Amino acid sequence: MSNSAVNPVRRNARGEPTWLRVLLIATSLGFIGFMLVLPLVSVFVEALAKGLTPYFAAIIDPDALSAIRLTLFVAAIAVPCNLVFGLCAAWAIAKFDFYGKSVLITLIDLPFSVSPVISGLIYVLLFGAHGWLGPTLDHYGIKIIFTTSGLVLATIFVTFPFIARELIPLMQEQGNEEEEAAISLGASGFQTFLRVTLPNVAWGLLYGVLLCNARAMGEFGAVSVVSGHIRGLTNTMPLHVEILYNEYDFVGAFAVASLLALLALVTLVVKSLLEWKFGDRLAAGIKH
Amino acid sequence: MTITLSDITKTFGNYQALRGIDLQIKKGEFLALLGPSGSGKTTLLRVLAGLDFPDEGRLIFDGSDVQHTSARERRVGFVFQHYALFRHMTVAENVAFGIKVRPRRERPSKAEISDRVSELLRLVQLEKFGNRYPTQLSGGQRQRIALARALAIEPKVLLLDEPFGALDAKVRKDLRRWLRQLHDEMGLTSIFVTHDQEEALELADQVAVMSEGRIEQIGTPDQVYHNPATPFVFEFLGHANRLSCVIEGDEVKIGDITVPVQNISTTRQIAGIAFVRPHDIALHHLAGAKTLPVRIRHMFTAGPGVRLELERQDTNGFLIADLSHEQVQKGAFAVGQAAAAELTLVSAFPKS
Repeated sequence: MSNSAVNPVRRNARGEPTWLRVLLIATSLGFIGFMLVLPLVSVFVEALAKGLTPYFAAIIDPDALSAIRLTLFVAAIAVPCNLVFGLCAAWAIAKFDFYGKSVLITLIDLPFSVSPVISGLIYVLLFGAHGWLGPTLDHYGIKIIFTTSGLVLATIFVTFPFIARELIPLMQEQGNEEEEAAISLGASGFQTFLRVTLPNVAWGLLYGVLLCNARAMGEFGAVSVVSGHIRGLTNTMPLHVEILYNEYDFVGAFAVASLLALLALVTLVVKSLLEWKFGDRLAAGIKH
Repeated sequence: MTITLSDITKTFGNYQALRGIDLQIKKGEFLALLGPSGSGKTTLLRVLAGLDFPDEGRLIFDGSDVQHTSARERRVGFVFQHYALFRHMTVAENVAFGIKVRPRRERPSKAEISDRVSELLRLVQLEKFGNRYPTQLSGGQRQRIALARALAIEPKVLLLDEPFGALDAKVRKDLRRWLRQLHDEMGLTSIFVTHDQEEALELADQVAVMSEGRIEQIGTPDQVYHNPATPFVFEFLGHANRLSCVIEGDEVKIGDITVPVQNISTTRQIAGIAFVRPHDIALHHLAGAKTLPVRIRHMFTAGPGVRLELERQDTNGFLIADLSHEQVQKGAFAVGQAAAAELTLVSAFPKS
């Protein structure tokens, strides 16, 4: 009795029993450990299984380097495209009323609900040698399938919803009032966009870009269909990993895979760092 | 600035928000747009600000037609109902916004902007809050920052949408007085929207009472309260007893009694509705030639006075009367008693 004052039991008004709390925490931590952390660690363990020399050798292999270059190149085009398009779509949906708005909202989600392999096939059907547009384009010397253009198109398609999805709820919640205030204070449309609309969604936008980028670099299914797997030419990092793995070059496969995993980790770290550094502004941007 | 609106109409889809508004606002005036929700008062304010554009009508600021002038060029200070402060900017940045977005050649130097901001923050008594974010302020403080931000552009007219709507009673009263003082000191022309009749009567020089997209009456608080032009205005500005009556000459016949009417005079007999404010009813024990027979059904303290529910013995209708505690004590009125109600001030309108 007497030591209850010395060592008070932390209780809350909702009164969940301790065993429930322990169970919930253990389940989530266990699940994350088993499903996320363990595989992530195993990537690095496998990659470094034979030491650092084979690891770096696998990365500076010409085919690997060209895969890395291509992956960066595709992402560098796909992400800005989706940035512009996602902003336009989110702005249109959140701030205006127009006919067919609900159809647009549904369509934005389409790439999420369609298997990436099918997304790739759609492009083959459209632009392939026997596709709808393929022969016409071929006539003008434009090739899409089995080229970098095909990779870029497929990646844009698959990663399209990330930025728009991140922005729509945010912009809808914020409404038009701040923009109206800016205009009534004498700001032009562009000034309003730059100084009010954009900063208000900056965090959502950044998060959307990071997710979009991570997916753009990691995309396998759709890219696999349109790429043709030409080594040193149309092979992106995920495709290169698959080829190496199928050739029993485990160190090589995991070395390249570790770069992709590293990219994901860097993404998370950058996001946390920014949140920590600009926490004030972030809080101001989300709550109101 | 003098503002003239003539025959302004505005439709949203099938909904007619404004049905022909004529209004004159003189320089230095403090005008209240008073009405229930859906009466079009906020739409009218937005039309003035250039945030909505009327379908028809003319809008003149100081003699020049501003109908096609954008909100940006009108130089109207607008204080939004929920303040609409820029959430990612500090208080000082919010206030500076209107100055910073000016074209380069009209923009003052950084030092001047900063001086101007401090001056405005001092004006709204928040000089120590420049580095805070809007989320870190209370409702009343946000309201004042919204006002400082609007004043930063040196507006020709200040528009306020339900400026005290989201504040608690005490803060509201203080801010009201402060705003009125600010208006007078700065020589502003101000228009504010409210659904609170007490607020409108206390604060404004002129009150425009709106209903269903029309202005029912415009006048000084005294005029609209004591001489309501329509039944709507009468009922909107405080409690009112409605009694069916017959109007003839400058008298009305209610039940068996005939009493003088203050606002109308007819040459022939017409059916009408008489309105009596609760404090314009006197209660007696003895019936007279001009009293209605009633029974006291309910009685309770309502702030400084006593509110009584009286059941008319001639029609079974109910009357609400407000008496002072003193009157109730002196007359020794009690629930269940029969009494005689005298209508001391009656207004009437023809039945529509």
